[in-house]
Amino acid sequence: MNKSKLKNYMMNLTPLFGLAALFAAFLILGTIRDINISYGLKSIINQSVVVAVVATGAVFIYTLGSFDISLGASAAVSALIGGMVYNRTESVFVMAAVCVGIAVLIGLFNSVLASVFNLPVFVTTIAMLSVLNALVLVLIKVNGTGSEIAIPAAAVKAINNTPFKIAVLLLFLLLSIFIFSFTKIGRMQKFQGSNPVCAKLSGVSEKKMAIIAFAMSGIGVGLGAFLSIIYAPTLTKNTASSVGMDVIIAIVFGGMPVSGGARSKIYAAVIGAFSMTLLSQIMVMFNLNSGIGQMVKAAIFLLVVFLATSDQRGKMLPR
Amino acid sequence: MKTGKTNGLKRIVEIAGIPAAAFLIMVLLCGIQGVKLFEMEGNWILFFRAAASVMLTTFALSLNLNSGRFDFSIGSVALLSSVISASICTAAGLPTIVMLMISIIAGALLGAISGAVYVIVKLPPIIVSLGVALFYEGFAFSITKGYGVSFVANAELTSFPSVANYLLIIVCGLLLFIFLFDYTQFGYDYKALLSGQKVAVNTGIKEIPNAVGCYTIAGALMGVVGFISATNTGTIQMALNFGSIGTMFTAFLPMFIGGFIGRFCNEKIGYLLGAVTTAFISLMYARLNVDASVQQIVTALILVGFLIYLNNENKIIELVQLKKLMGKTGAEKGK
Repeated sequence: MNKSKLKNYMMNLTPLFGLAALFAAFLILGTIRDINISYGLKSIINQSVVVAVVATGAVFIYTLGSFDISLGASAAVSALIGGMVYNRTESVFVMAAVCVGIAVLIGLFNSVLASVFNLPVFVTTIAMLSVLNALVLVLIKVNGTGSEIAIPAAAVKAINNTPFKIAVLLLFLLLSIFIFSFTKIGRMQKFQGSNPVCAKLSGVSEKKMAIIAFAMSGIGVGLGAFLSIIYAPTLTKNTASSVGMDVIIAIVFGGMPVSGGARSKIYAAVIGAFSMTLLSQIMVMFNLNSGIGQMVKAAIFLLVVFLATSDQRGKMLPR
Repeated sequence: MKTGKTNGLKRIVEIAGIPAAAFLIMVLLCGIQGVKLFEMEGNWILFFRAAASVMLTTFALSLNLNSGRFDFSIGSVALLSSVISASICTAAGLPTIVMLMISIIAGALLGAISGAVYVIVKLPPIIVSLGVALFYEGFAFSITKGYGVSFVANAELTSFPSVANYLLIIVCGLLLFIFLFDYTQFGYDYKALLSGQKVAVNTGIKEIPNAVGCYTIAGALMGVVGFISATNTGTIQMALNFGSIGTMFTAFLPMFIGGFIGRFCNEKIGYLLGAVTTAFISLMYARLNVDASVQQIVTALILVGFLIYLNNENKIIELVQLKKLMGKTGAEKGK
């Protein structure tokens, strides 16, 4: 392996090194400050797993060079409708299916709207964000107590544990890796993201790719919504409210190029989600106020992305 | 002569058609409910405040977005610049005009920092803006210890809201923006970089100072937006975890409307008319006490509807012409 190849290889691994360093810092600080490490890890998993699942699905959209800002709102709507369905059917399985179904439908609606009417995907998702946020308020007002929709905690107690959540994440991750790395669909997605003109001339259907990407993202959002209900069975207008932006941060932090294409990686979502949560936990250990914690988080975010992409800079400013 | 008049009239309709139609629809909707769109002085103030604030946000957003630089941080610049100016002015008992000046300077400085980070790290602007937005929100939160700023009892600083003041901001903002981008070397370079980055750079146009300049101007504009918002309520509430990005979304509809109107006149005037259109809608919401969730849905539907028209304009026109042609053919056959 020559020097430049080795350098590129190491650059690609920067987010992984970042995650390892953060994990080490968490363990060292936790030991010094005498905190309950196993409880802390459980908390990190609980917080990361929703973002990791949603972000894993979102990688398919990012690979195309597209962008969906409405994922958090979509997760909230799916969770609320899932909660309402549970209260009618008292079946956790039906609730999970409804969460995934609604999220996939929202994703498909986004992609079909953009494809049929030739709209820019990002703008479509901005409009969708407003509609879904409004829908959250309406659903809570109409079906809940006015401020929340709750399902009994006992209903999800049996599955509110770390192994189940990790299992959901791993299963979806494996499915995504399979589709992304071992099927024609994954290759076409990367081709489309790298060079849309060339992909079109080669017979790759842009619309079909968009629909598949949004459907995969919808599955991730639906599973994220289901995991959100398990973690916090009382759903309010704030349920999954930060997921949308957390997903963007996680994907980029994990080493995924915003422009998509051949350099896209499924695992970036998981690395990014866990890194960001570890970072937040470390800030908490330092007893920093929320503002300073967020400033440090922003600086580390930019630094890690800067290091991870230092081999990709050209003469002109990126756009 | 007749053709000239007809063309002139057609041009006026093309330029003013959308805001005029919006006005008529809003008057009609209010009329159905037995409410006047403009009844009290407060309605005029609300209208001009919305127009001023949205116009400046649209300028700030479009300035970088048209060049392919997506900027999530403009809301956080407005937040932090208003926190800085309000904190200084309430502590030192300074007048409103000084608060406005400090807001503009702080906004410009914050914008310049944002631009400098972008040109130094050379990361995609969307990533830089995410980091910067998080940083500025955190900074605003830290300096106010999370409590925000309140100067409700300060009669001097809360005396700013008036039709005349907002009109002055609109006129000054528009003229300055037109001057900077249509009559200076900076503006010519900006347009060259916008239409062909590689060619412009290869011909010697300095991209880095131009980009930093754009961020600085956008920051100064958002400083004014922050000032307008703060002096309206006398309070500045904190936002963390991207709570400030909502400001940016208010500018999308006027930006697209402005882009459309800009085909027939100066694009900046188009943005103003886009802002005026959304100000009519905002006033109607306020006058009819429309629920927040309904407002969100209606605004989103208008945005999508407008975009569908813009992106399928040729097809729609072709369809209309085809129908006309078929109608004529049918009529001739009937004869």
